[in-house]
Amino acid sequence: MSSQPTGGSRVSLKDVKKAFGSNVVLQGIDLEIPAGQFVSIVGKSGCGKSTLLRLMIGLDSVTAGVLDAPALKEQAARIVFQEPRLLPWASVKDNVAVGLGEGQSGKAADNQAAAILDEVGLKGREGLWPSQLSGGMRQRVALARALVSQPTLLALDEPLGALDALTRIDMQALLEGVWQDLGFTALMVTHDVGEAVALGDRVILIDHGQVVLDLPVNLPRPRKRGTPEFAALEGQILDKLFGDDPRAREAH
Amino acid sequence: MAATASEGPFSRALPWLVPLALIILWQVSSSLGWLPPNILPAPTAVLQAAWVKLQDGSLVDNLGVSFARAMSGLIIGGAIGFSLGLLNGLSKQAEMLLDPTLQMIRNIPHLALIPLVIIWFGIGESARLFLVALGVFFPIYLNTLHGVRNVDPQLIEMGRIYGMNNRTLFLKVILPGALPSIFVGLRFALGVMWLTLIVAETIAANSGIGHMAMAAREFMQTDIVVLSIVIYAILGKLADSATRALERKFLAWNPAYAKV
Repeated sequence: MSSQPTGGSRVSLKDVKKAFGSNVVLQGIDLEIPAGQFVSIVGKSGCGKSTLLRLMIGLDSVTAGVLDAPALKEQAARIVFQEPRLLPWASVKDNVAVGLGEGQSGKAADNQAAAILDEVGLKGREGLWPSQLSGGMRQRVALARALVSQPTLLALDEPLGALDALTRIDMQALLEGVWQDLGFTALMVTHDVGEAVALGDRVILIDHGQVVLDLPVNLPRPRKRGTPEFAALEGQILDKLFGDDPRAREAH
Repeated sequence: MAATASEGPFSRALPWLVPLALIILWQVSSSLGWLPPNILPAPTAVLQAAWVKLQDGSLVDNLGVSFARAMSGLIIGGAIGFSLGLLNGLSKQAEMLLDPTLQMIRNIPHLALIPLVIIWFGIGESARLFLVALGVFFPIYLNTLHGVRNVDPQLIEMGRIYGMNNRTLFLKVILPGALPSIFVGLRFALGVMWLTLIVAETIAANSGIGHMAMAAREFMQTDIVVLSIVIYAILGKLADSATRALERKFLAWNPAYAKV
């Protein structure tokens, strides 16, 4: 029993601007994201990348410009946060069921929940409390909760940011596998340039509220870090991020 | 640390050693005449008094009366405190309207109202119910309010994003999140409940454990006075154990309450 492919949906932004009061956070954003693409969004803290993500899945509204995302009208957009945000008093299965929405229960819902838990590698852990899981497993439950309603657009806001280095590598492979199986459009904000290159079909770099780099990544999957092509792409992004400041690059 | 302490029959007997030693010391002192019976009767005398009172039925009657009073007061005061705690926790306006007044009243020791309560209600059943209800109201109110207020806002945002309506959000996120704090309030309330009842029954009552103790005092029946005190201790301990059992059932998800 595994989950069926859901397919993805496109997102398009035309001259989008977002301001909170007089504070302009994003300006002149033009993006065409085809259905099923994996987009990595990187940038320094406070550059507006998380705001862009929230706009694209309808958690915030645009101040000016046009945002066109069919997934929003179909309520087929979901988000995974850096923190799993699981209900501590609900079992793994009940936490996943939250993702099905109001009034969804019974055999069909149970099967859906079981299938998606299998997909994220948590088969047999349906009855556990979140406090009995490791950090990586909790984030898998959060992923299952987001995916159980078969979204066509999935936003990931630094989804692996709170995990240790080894768990991250594990989770990157899992995320890539799930995305390949289900085919949704993935929008992932990360501050880890290596992670952005490893997972993204394309890496978008945001700086001071604007897209300063839109770089396609045409490497075969699963990608190997440390190859010259991989390192070249990473270097290109870091150059754009930090300019010529060698100390900042070294620190990264 | 807890794992090593809960193993073996010796460790299980450990909490009982000190009380047992005290009772033996007490019995020996009484038997040797060091403790005169009009100061403190021997444990065997207290047991004997319990047996006598059991046989003439007055112990069971008084116990039933006291227990019913305690529970009625707890249910009335607890229900009001819980409802107001939820209301003020969920609505900013309600809190601004009601909380300052409640905080002011909270600072009055409720037993200070006894003279006024006797004037209002006489020395009947309603006076005692009023005092117990007032006593348990505040711990439950304060801890319910605190619990609702401190539910993780990230979980509430998550619930909203997943399309929970207000009712589901309350039942699945806010209430379970507030429950540990509500239980803390309940345990405080149980302590206040017995205390208030003892005072109320001692001052003005013609039945109940407190009355039994006061009536015995007039005839210098120290064995019955001590019996009453022991019964209060047992009732308090039972109430506390019942709350612990409820916590283990409803807060099993929380590692702090789960069975070791």
